[in-house]
Amino acid sequence: MNGRREEEVGLLVVGGGPAGLVAAELAARHGLTVLLVDERATFGGQIYRQPGPGFVVRDPRRVGRDYWAGVALVEAARGAGVELRARTAVLSLRGTTAVCLTEGDEHVTLLRARRVLVAPGASDRPVPFPGWTLPGVVTAGGAQALVKASRVAPGTRVAFAGSGPLALAFPAQLRHLGVNVVLALEAGPAPRAPTVARLVVAGWGNAALLRDALTYRARLLGARVPLRYGRIVVRAEGEDRVEAVVHAAADADWRAIPDSEERLEVDTLCVGYGFVPSTELLRLAGCQFGYDENLGGLVVEVDAWQRTNVEGVLAAGDGTGVRGALVAMAQARLAALGAAADLGAVSRARAARLARPVRRQLAAKERFRRALLPLYAVGPGIYELATPETVVCRCEEVTLARLEEAMEATVDTDALKSYTRAGMGLCQGRSCQPQIGAVLARRTGAASEAGSLLDGANEARRPVPRLSGGQLAALAGTTPRPPVRPAAIGVLADDTVPDRGLFVGG
Amino acid sequence: MDERASAESGTCVDAAREPGAGVLLPRRSDLSGEVPTDTDVVIVGGGLAGCALAYFLATQGVELAVLERAELNREASGTNAGSFHFQIAIHQLTGAGADADRDRLLADVRLLVRAAAMWRDLERELRADLGVHVTGGLMVAETPEQLQILVTKQRIERDGGLDTEVLTGAELRNFAPYLAEDLAGASYCATEGYANPLLAAPAFAARAFEAGAAVRTYAPVERIEQLQDAGAARFAVHHARGKVRAHRVVNAAGAWAHELARGNGFELPLRAEGLHMNVTEPRDRLLVPLIQHIGRRLTLKQSSNGTFIVGGGWPARAEPWPARPSVRWSSVAGNAAVARRVVPALADVRVIHTWAGVWAASKDLLPVVGESARVPGYFTCVVPTGFTLGPLMASLLAGQMTGTSATLPSEYSPDRAPTLARGGARQGGPS
Ligand SMILES: Cc1cc2nc3c(=O)[nH]c(=O)nc-3n(C[C@H](O)[C@H](O)[C@H](O)COP(=O)(O)OP(=O)(O)OC[C@H]3O[C@@H](n4cnc5c(N)ncnc54)[C@H](O)[C@@H]3O)c2cc1C
Ligand SMILES: Cc1cc2nc3c(=O)[nH]c(=O)nc-3n(C[C@H](O)[C@H](O)[C@H](O)COP(=O)(O)OP(=O)(O)OC[C@H]3O[C@@H](n4cnc5c(N)ncnc54)[C@H](O)[C@@H]3O)c2cc1C
Repeated sequence: MNGRREEEVGLLVVGGGPAGLVAAELAARHGLTVLLVDERATFGGQIYRQPGPGFVVRDPRRVGRDYWAGVALVEAARGAGVELRARTAVLSLRGTTAVCLTEGDEHVTLLRARRVLVAPGASDRPVPFPGWTLPGVVTAGGAQALVKASRVAPGTRVAFAGSGPLALAFPAQLRHLGVNVVLALEAGPAPRAPTVARLVVAGWGNAALLRDALTYRARLLGARVPLRYGRIVVRAEGEDRVEAVVHAAADADWRAIPDSEERLEVDTLCVGYGFVPSTELLRLAGCQFGYDENLGGLVVEVDAWQRTNVEGVLAAGDGTGVRGALVAMAQARLAALGAAADLGAVSRARAARLARPVRRQLAAKERFRRALLPLYAVGPGIYELATPETVVCRCEEVTLARLEEAMEATVDTDALKSYTRAGMGLCQGRSCQPQIGAVLARRTGAASEAGSLLDGANEARRPVPRLSGGQLAALAGTTPRPPVRPAAIGVLADDTVPDRGLFVGG
Repeated sequence: MDERASAESGTCVDAAREPGAGVLLPRRSDLSGEVPTDTDVVIVGGGLAGCALAYFLATQGVELAVLERAELNREASGTNAGSFHFQIAIHQLTGAGADADRDRLLADVRLLVRAAAMWRDLERELRADLGVHVTGGLMVAETPEQLQILVTKQRIERDGGLDTEVLTGAELRNFAPYLAEDLAGASYCATEGYANPLLAAPAFAARAFEAGAAVRTYAPVERIEQLQDAGAARFAVHHARGKVRAHRVVNAAGAWAHELARGNGFELPLRAEGLHMNVTEPRDRLLVPLIQHIGRRLTLKQSSNGTFIVGGGWPARAEPWPARPSVRWSSVAGNAAVARRVVPALADVRVIHTWAGVWAASKDLLPVVGESARVPGYFTCVVPTGFTLGPLMASLLAGQMTGTSATLPSEYSPDRAPTLARGGARQGGPS
């Protein structure tokens, strides 16, 4: 009966966000055959996400700058000859061979590529606090996707709690689209004069970013949305859905200061404490990782051409550490040039020359990012909000108390997973692992290098520390396994695989 | 038929989900204690074999230490499917269930019947929730030839004291409407089922600890030195945390047992193999019994939380320890194909995770349990279908070591030549 389709391609790009689109276009312009796949229905990624099919743009001015930027990137890639395949998830990656599944297909496709660029982006940093699983508590990314893809407002009285250079973008965008945002909380401190001065210096060449940040702030202020710095969400209250948010003043480590709680009635709480890179494909491929909480935690190691330690596998964008779209696109250019040079499509010298301005641009962005760190460095308190009754693993409904009880038996993440089932559900640990990693790190104390990695994340100038296999396991959770997305038995099934018969066990 | 269908509605709670439901785990502070420097028995390996043996010895008053190189129960015993395979593996031993194997198969049946009885009682004995579910089990046949083997098998099982029956046609369809209609038939064994492999070995370890056993983790054994003239201690077991002198040692190192044995100059009839497993999203109850295939690589069940656990012996790529074997895509695809062939309704059920573990297979698929004549005092306890048979074989070995029960038969001897079964075991093992 059915087998599988096999295809060959020069460069396979996984992810159709800014990084993937830009890399695909540039590589195609240098003569590579490029296939770009994205599991979503439309291209553009988190920031430039296009509305779903059937959505007709009636008033081009309302949809915003990002929409048009996305259109341009998609058109440019297509114009360069890139084959774009939507609704296609990469389920497995080994070397430069990927198993892909296109929605609606009856079987998977085996793609043999000469180079693979993994540009999978990031997802919201999961932050468990009492009430985080109540309906009406949404992630910033989720709310943004909802609004961008289907133009649906998440609620009628929306509070936002979060942090980070892009955090204010969410409430500002929501407000702009007509959503009633009643409160915006930023965990970091209000910008003070010295920091602002530093930003202006570092911001040289980052005018667009600064302008965006200021615009967001101005929009919120203009719309009279209370903007409170140095405050963190403590819990969400409500019976069947969120009815109120309780927040408190946060110290420099983002720990709630006693007696500073306030309560506000809302019907939606939007939470955005930054992003974590999507690492499952890169981990599956066996790439080397480092750790930096401010880049989202696990970050893959890449060389000057965005090559990982695995032959033929490159990485770019938020998936390599969350730094935003501009950096993602610059990294993507380096990756495309690197792959083209490796495959002989351009000479090394020419690639180096073309890369020079990109590297300058990246250096400027990195200076800017580091200048921003005092404002937005992630405090360890973010993983101390859960109480014993808080469900940490939502899929399997495992509470913090239950996890801590099991930690009396083991501090090995795989064993912990076995004893509690935390991380075994549909999301495969994506939403509980950062919290579990942090609790484990705290428990095993100063002795644990993983722990010191979490605590030391504030040192702005230190290079990203490299992880040993054990640390990677502690922080990333358990062994990565295919398929990295759920896939039906009927589509996975391949009757042409020989079955050599039997033996005992299993 | 009706009794069978209602025997287990699948509503039992999975112990691992239920806080305080009797899950019994050893404490980290205990496991990291000092390793004794002198003892009677040192058991190398903290899987099900090592932990169960420690329990049976310690409760009979034997002084002992278990040395595990990493966490307890993290290798085969904690990665397996947890199925009780009580129907004999006749098809794996011969091409056609030949009479030549009858004696051996009868002996297998008798052992399996005892294992069934032990599992039935184990939660009570250990006073712990092990997630034991007696669901019954079906072994399906696709072709008339395979069906004929099931018929032969059923007779041997009957003669050995195991109740099974062969179902075909409408009877099978009524009993198991979820099976593909064109299957030739199936044998059914009401005592089959499964337990939670994540809970069994830790529970044994916790009770062994209570009985005085020094169960220790992160104590990898580097070598076992044979002492010439040192009174009662015949061995010095060198491990990463020091040295322990022992009168007897037990190699319960699973897939690494043969490597450990080589250090003392002998070959065990074992090889290590990576095995593949899949787990799906949860669904409403579709089926109750365990299902396996007599001619192809498939075992599957719907666990108490609704997920389907699918395996059956598909290979995984071996990696050097401590890395786990890595998953081969061809195993995902092949295993899915057999599962869909046998239970067509699985076609739209999504696999959410796969994993792989490594087990020790003996070439004749018999346990490798007993004392080596070549190195007196050196015992081995490695059991291929080791979840089903591990606790039983450990208790039999404990009986032999304490002199309370008979010496194990020579068929299980670690000294036996590493050859195939009399009837010629099919080389079905994955590589
Ligand atoms: C019976 C069984 C059911 C499983 N169900 C799920 C599930 O629903 N969702 C999921 O994501 N993963 C499940 N797993 C997979 C497994 O728990 C993880 O893969 C493992 O904890 C670590 O991941 P890994 O990729 O390293 O796997 P490996 O380390 O290769 O696999 C090892 C792990 O399998 C685990 N395991 C053994 N028995 C069970 C069990 N009864 N339940 C859960 N885990 C077990 C053990 O923790 C073992 O260490 C199941 C495994 C088994 C054996
Ligand atoms: C995927 C899979 C599915 C299976 N399904 C089933 C099933 O459904 N039913 C069934 O009956 N059987 C099944 N089996 C077989 C069963 O799991 C094994 O036979 C059984 O668990 C073996 O137990 P063990 O204690 O001998 O080995 P293990 O559990 O592997 O334990 C050996 C231990 O020794 C330790 N060790 C090794 N070397 C050293 C050293 N030098 N020093 C210290 N410690 C050391 C290891 O770390 C390990 O913990 C399956 C096996 C696998 C892999």
